Amino acid sequence: MNTFLAALSLGTSRGAIFALVALGLVIVWRGAGIVNFAQMGQAMFSTYIASTLIANGYSYWVAFLAALLSGAALGALLDIFIMRPLSNKKQSELLSSESMRAAVPVIASLGILGALQALAGIIWAAEERGFPAPAKEEGFTVAGNVLPFTSFDVFVVSIVTLTLIVTTLFFTKTGIGLAMRATALNQEVAKLSGIRTNRTRTISWAISGAASSLAGLLITPTSNLSPNTLDLVLIVGFTAAVVGGLDSPVGAVLGGFILGMVISFVTFYDTPEDVFLAILAVLLAVLIIRPRGILGSKDARRV
Amino acid sequence: MLKIDNLVTRFGSVVAIDGISMQAQESKITTVIGANGAGKSTLLRTISGLEHPSSGSITWKGQSIVGMRPENIVRLGIAHVPEGHAVISELSVEENISMGSLFRRRKFKSDITPAIDEMYALFPRLKERRKQLAGTLSGGERQMLAISRALVSRPQLLLLDEPSLGLAPLVVEQIIDSVNTLCRSTGLSVLLVEQNANTALGVADHGVLLALGKVVADRPASELKADAKLRAAYLGY
Repeated sequence: MNTFLAALSLGTSRGAIFALVALGLVIVWRGAGIVNFAQMGQAMFSTYIASTLIANGYSYWVAFLAALLSGAALGALLDIFIMRPLSNKKQSELLSSESMRAAVPVIASLGILGALQALAGIIWAAEERGFPAPAKEEGFTVAGNVLPFTSFDVFVVSIVTLTLIVTTLFFTKTGIGLAMRATALNQEVAKLSGIRTNRTRTISWAISGAASSLAGLLITPTSNLSPNTLDLVLIVGFTAAVVGGLDSPVGAVLGGFILGMVISFVTFYDTPEDVFLAILAVLLAVLIIRPRGILGSKDARRV
Repeated sequence: MLKIDNLVTRFGSVVAIDGISMQAQESKITTVIGANGAGKSTLLRTISGLEHPSSGSITWKGQSIVGMRPENIVRLGIAHVPEGHAVISELSVEENISMGSLFRRRKFKSDITPAIDEMYALFPRLKERRKQLAGTLSGGERQMLAISRALVSRPQLLLLDEPSLGLAPLVVEQIIDSVNTLCRSTGLSVLLVEQNANTALGVADHGVLLALGKVVADRPASELKADAKLRAAYLGY
């Protein structure tokens, strides 16, 4: 029973972070039609900025805000200077086929990830450093047992829930949310409707950048910060997004929690070595039984 | 109103439009007819900014619109309904329509809801299905939706590309009738591209016949319709 509760609480806190990563991926997918593998590179970069600010005596919350803003700015810059020129078909013969047009930005995002990691290594050196949490990291005590669920985990879960609600409302209830979806789904019709698709895509990148910075800030207190720490989180977060259905914010969060639970229960009841096997098994099962993901819509997956 | 002069549009080495000069008159329906590959769709796509011409001019109310982006051309009052019931299947009917009015949100805030309601009045079937995804609609309903998406931006010129494509004659008649009524009652100008020349010439004021990217005839629609020789030579019946 105690093992069960422990597994459940670890699964919840981990799941919340994977959910946030998946949410960031879904935002760029829905707003720009791109799977952005550079996302956790962006998150790592802005977490370093926060870490530097804290080291220089600024408060956690100033650093927190700075990380979100720099995450948004970095996302927007990557779109304007790399993704937008790449998607401009006049400039590139490469993009004449539909499949290449879908693949090129994904490959570029992998390149950006590598570049950001190298740049962070140059600026901040590659050794690991710690990163503070804004709340206590001691487990709650239930019936004399200390659970691996802390005040910080409560903070994480609340932030993720809030982000999910805001994202869902934003996509379905606001004009800019509609413009983002239209832009990702059919650029030509979006343009003919008067939507400034370039600007809209940049906004998606900025919002996603802020969301992934949030994920970076929330995961590093429990893992440590180095240029490569977030690679694993990205892999699990990506799997979560696919499991939930790439175009559904609710699905992304659901996928995040499912994977959090799977990882946690495998760790507690089996061995941590089997975690990757379990992740792959979940991914494979979803792809075979329901390729569009649990809550994904039919035409969502093109890449 | 819209004046096209010596327009040339190429795709690589293929010349799709080869020196077209024509006009769309104010509050009139001008139809562009011709066989497949005559350059009709390319002409509309060049006007709305989706394709860029290699030479020639397009003048809208005295202003050149060559080289402008589609999202800015629609702001000037030219709305394009491209070929093939261009709606976004993954969005609801309501979302598809309001998408067309997003850019008017700030300047014409009080006119957004009335404009959308007018579309539902024009095509009541869309109102019944407004929460459904556009992908679940029939072909005719999708075409109505595509037209509504364009009209909700309150254009002065509607570019309509093959609205009859793949639709039953009765539905075609209904859609053409709606557009005709709208033109006559509100003064909307229409540039109608059709392969189905009889339908188009039946409703239009003026007709332009294209063949292989060139204008072969530019006359009042009734004259064009009566010219059996021309029809036999270029349209095959």
